[in-house]
Amino acid sequence: MAIERKYTELINADIDGELSAAENAELQAYLAQNDEAQALHRELSSLSSTLEAAEPLDPPSHLRHAIMGSLPPIRTKAESPGFLQTLFATPALTYAATFAAGVFLTLSLVNSGQLSNQAFDDVTGLVGTVADPINADLESSVAVDEPKIAGKVSLRSAGSMLILDFDLVAVDPIEIEADYDDRIVWFNGFAQLESDGTVISADAGRVMVRMDGKRRYAVYLQNEDGRDTSVSLRFMAEGKVVHEASLDYAPAR
Amino acid sequence: MTKTDDTKLIERCISGDRKAFETLLVQYEKPVFNAAFRMLNSADDASDVTQTVFLKVFENFDHFDPSRRFFSWIYRITLNESINWLGKSNRLEPLKHEAVDEGRTIEQEVDSANLSAGVQEALMSIKTDYRAVIVLKHFLGCSYVEISQILEIPEKKVKSRLFSARQQLKDALTRTGVH
Repeated sequence: MAIERKYTELINADIDGELSAAENAELQAYLAQNDEAQALHRELSSLSSTLEAAEPLDPPSHLRHAIMGSLPPIRTKAESPGFLQTLFATPALTYAATFAAGVFLTLSLVNSGQLSNQAFDDVTGLVGTVADPINADLESSVAVDEPKIAGKVSLRSAGSMLILDFDLVAVDPIEIEADYDDRIVWFNGFAQLESDGTVISADAGRVMVRMDGKRRYAVYLQNEDGRDTSVSLRFMAEGKVVHEASLDYAPAR
Repeated sequence: MTKTDDTKLIERCISGDRKAFETLLVQYEKPVFNAAFRMLNSADDASDVTQTVFLKVFENFDHFDPSRRFFSWIYRITLNESINWLGKSNRLEPLKHEAVDEGRTIEQEVDSANLSAGVQEALMSIKTDYRAVIVLKHFLGCSYVEISQILEIPEKKVKSRLFSARQQLKDALTRTGVH
């Protein structure tokens, strides 16, 4: 005996716990006289049980800290976008602005040799605004889960730019070395995305970052020819290497 | 958490109380992560989406309609972000999460992992729209009315979509040998 559409709906509603007492009574009476309806009810009950038996997963332990650490400063009143933000909201200007910021930062590098966040005060916000790593394409990422440091480092790409997106929580001060092939890519900027206090220095083929607490920051590298490359990471606490990882970039051909 | 609790927390968030936001995060982190995971089939991608969802929530509290439930808003953002992510990455990855619950035997863990992987494989084989209603109904425990609000479709359409989704899922689970 075929199942009337009305009762197919009632069977589904019963599985979903959405039947009224009257509807339930009507369904039970129908099931008692229709084998096909009983079979469908059993099948859907079994399906529902199978789905409910798939246990929920626990999010990674660092995720909550990473989210709290990534919150932007609280706006206490409505703010209208500034001139620069309006200007750089134009997509065509984004990379030009990033390039200009990169030139400025590179010049700063030449002059200072050793860079600290103070040296970037005027430009880190600008770089962060125009090249948001969250919206760049994810190329590869590594999770770090050590007693002294946890979180994630991702390598993202936006045009000819590679972005090392550090999203980490450190119990004590940590140093991170990022080594790359300076024949292929070069350092092009640094942005502290939610917090300051991270210190960066750069040399040919290497960026060194010192941080503690919850931090999210981005290191910008220029990969002008879009070539395959990789970045080696070494995490050090009290002068000892506690974690090593590598991030790869291979452009789609 | 009741609507009143959420509303009070949101008012505190709007006034700049990060502790209130952390309370919301503690409450909704797991369901948001799991919904994203079931949509994307990757714990890494689900983590990224979860982070994006909470950032969007934080930055858009002033767009939240207090006449609606907070969970329907955040679940809607979660599904939209997951679908956007799928569109960007256009990939299906194998199940990678390897969390182990202490106090269970290896056999139980293997059975549970096989079941979860089989369910996930079947979920990834059905259309995104269908996957979304299954996730909302069976993994987040939403009612028809709540699904209707989250997806902004009529309740009648929720029922028909769930019905079709179950038919496809049942077939897919049979193919994977789970059901």
